[in-house]
Amino acid sequence: MWPYYKFEFYQFITNKKNIAIYVLLLFFSCYYALKIAPTYDPIEKVDESEIEARFLTREEFLNTVVINDGTHHFTRFAAAIFPEWNVYDKGRLDAIKQNDLKEYAEATNKWYGYSDKMIFTRGNGVLFYHPRYYTFGNNYATMDGHYAYLYSASRYKGYAEGNSKLSINVFEERTALQTLQRLLHSYLPFILIVSCIFFTVDIVLKDRRYPTLLQGLPLSDWKKLIVKGAVSLIGSIGALVPLSVGLLIIGIQSGFGDFNLPVPIYFSAEKTFSNILLGEYILQNMLIMIFWFLFMISLLLLASVTLKNEFANLLVGCAFVIGELTYFGRGNGIFWDVQWYPTSYVQVGQVLSGYRNYLYNSEALTIVNGLFVMGLCTGIFLFFTFLISNHRKFKLL
Amino acid sequence: MWNILKTFFILEKSNKKNIFAFIFVGAFVLSLMFFVKTEDLGNPIKEKSGEFQSVSSALSKFQNVDATDRGNGSDLYKNLVLQQRLISTQSMSLKMDRPELFLDAAIELARLRANSFDLEGFDGVASYLPSRIENEFDRVFYQYIKKTGLSLTTNSLSFYQFLAYLFGILGSVWFIFISIYSCGIMIEDFRHTSLIKGYPISFDKYVLGKCISSMLIVGVILLELFVCSLPLIYFQGLGNPSYPIAIFDGVFKVYPIYKFLGLSILYMILIAIFTILLSVILNVLLKNMYLTLFVELLLFILPMLFPNMMNLVPFNPFNYMNFTSILNGQTLEFENPVDLNSTHGLIYIGMSIAIMVVAVKYFLTTGKLKKI
Repeated sequence: MWPYYKFEFYQFITNKKNIAIYVLLLFFSCYYALKIAPTYDPIEKVDESEIEARFLTREEFLNTVVINDGTHHFTRFAAAIFPEWNVYDKGRLDAIKQNDLKEYAEATNKWYGYSDKMIFTRGNGVLFYHPRYYTFGNNYATMDGHYAYLYSASRYKGYAEGNSKLSINVFEERTALQTLQRLLHSYLPFILIVSCIFFTVDIVLKDRRYPTLLQGLPLSDWKKLIVKGAVSLIGSIGALVPLSVGLLIIGIQSGFGDFNLPVPIYFSAEKTFSNILLGEYILQNMLIMIFWFLFMISLLLLASVTLKNEFANLLVGCAFVIGELTYFGRGNGIFWDVQWYPTSYVQVGQVLSGYRNYLYNSEALTIVNGLFVMGLCTGIFLFFTFLISNHRKFKLL
Repeated sequence: MWNILKTFFILEKSNKKNIFAFIFVGAFVLSLMFFVKTEDLGNPIKEKSGEFQSVSSALSKFQNVDATDRGNGSDLYKNLVLQQRLISTQSMSLKMDRPELFLDAAIELARLRANSFDLEGFDGVASYLPSRIENEFDRVFYQYIKKTGLSLTTNSLSFYQFLAYLFGILGSVWFIFISIYSCGIMIEDFRHTSLIKGYPISFDKYVLGKCISSMLIVGVILLELFVCSLPLIYFQGLGNPSYPIAIFDGVFKVYPIYKFLGLSILYMILIAIFTILLSVILNVLLKNMYLTLFVELLLFILPMLFPNMMNLVPFNPFNYMNFTSILNGQTLEFENPVDLNSTHGLIYIGMSIAIMVVAVKYFLTTGKLKKI
């Protein structure tokens, strides 16, 4: 089997299409690092003037307000909640002026916690989250703000308690590893899965061009398929190499960050956040990503032996990537058991950080369920591939 | 010529690729229906409540002061307060089912917003309000409804409404679909070069035959879009084919749905011919279907990655491949706005097709084909 593996692998890396995919990934990662990453503009940033403006306005109000029988209840409300709020804002302001980042993280953690408590539970129609959540057409701004504030609170708690080297770039999630974390939360999983589809789509059917070459090999069709699957798994993991070039560029520009930084995870049963380490988060992502590769490869092997058409392989693969769109909707987890569809796990980073649970209002999109569903589907696909490839009348090509 | 066409038809009929393409398109249409249903698109009450919230947060940036004409608030503040009142009026009129009130409020709202763009301090609240372009669309749309006395429809799943939405989505992905479909158009024949060399016709006639047979399949796919949407007539009703859609083609105006569909289909046919010819040329040059696909997709997204290129080369046909964004006036919202005109787009694509036909006729010959 080993010589055949080497033969397949050589074919894989000399395939023009595969080289083109690696080159394209390299191009896009450099484009991202040079053009998109520097323009990243987070909503929750470290902005001294914003804190100062808010602090001074409220301070002035508190100094001049007179509470008596005729006072409007909103004024009373403000006078009751602003003192504590201002303590936290003052703490943030002093810390950032003295460049004491540890202190800033601690005060910011408390500030976010308190702000969310006030805005979400008591601020109905009077208090708002950061105005940039309320963009035109966003009907879920309050929910977005709620998530982001709790997320930030937990994140800053992690910074205050951990022993990582802090900087403004770390606070604004600009370092290379944090950029990776943000990308895993958005479209990096799609890029990796689609690359995997393109790597695998012709791995069986390319042999049609030289059928005589392979007829002499003393290997069963099933073993050949397994070897092909292994080659394309290695190739798909290899897609990380060109992508890491972009990461390197970002690292040089704004620091690498380190693996001990906190990543807040949302637990929907308790509706709270708790932190895990960035290294752990990335490892979990890699694990699910590899399961996705296995899933796609086994799916495409099955499609290759049944449909025997590259175009069909491509469509089948893509259907699984975009399948979630057909049933996705906020809060749909109440009516649908979304956790039993493999397509629900396509946003790997969002599933692991609990954000998908938050969107679906479900509790069951967890790493364990994900591995179970993906593993089960992979097993089923491989089983059918095995049955078909061992059938008497079956021909691989 | 007729004989080779007949051969191609027989080949296409037995080609599994076409069957999968049909299945995929059908599944796409059906899942889009589910998407519209689950997302509850076009629900005006939901939209208005979101709008209300946006304006409220814009107002939270101001001090609460007297907003009457003689009050001491800034012009923008007064404007926003009026906007908020009109949005409430619209919400109420929807709940009370008084469409004429809704319409008047909508026109007045668009007028107010058009004024607000020039007021002092607008940049600070711009993200809470629709852009100038979106507002213009609203304005022409409601004015047209008012003028013609049509009734407002909110069911985005009735047959014609859905078709308009479907073709809007397809406008963005049609090029991608056709390039995936056609990227291997010549490759399968290259595997049997001796076959092609044996045909008693010249290479350009052969390409022509290939294009005609592929275009026939594209025609069937277009027909399939309509057929798959037919069940909606039974479940959700027919809708109104002359219901307006606001679009941009040099000026802001409304097209009735049937005209919009006609324009879309014209665009889609031209894009399909363009892509198929491009695939033929790239197939001959690169001799690999995936490389062809990647080059095509790269050409497609380059104008999006470098928007300034659109200003520099407005005649680049790839600017117009995503024709929905042209009709939506999205290119006007760039940092350096580009006034891409949908009629010009048709001309540029047509000219590119002519150039490619000439290139195929004079530069590509059977001699270029080698077995791969």
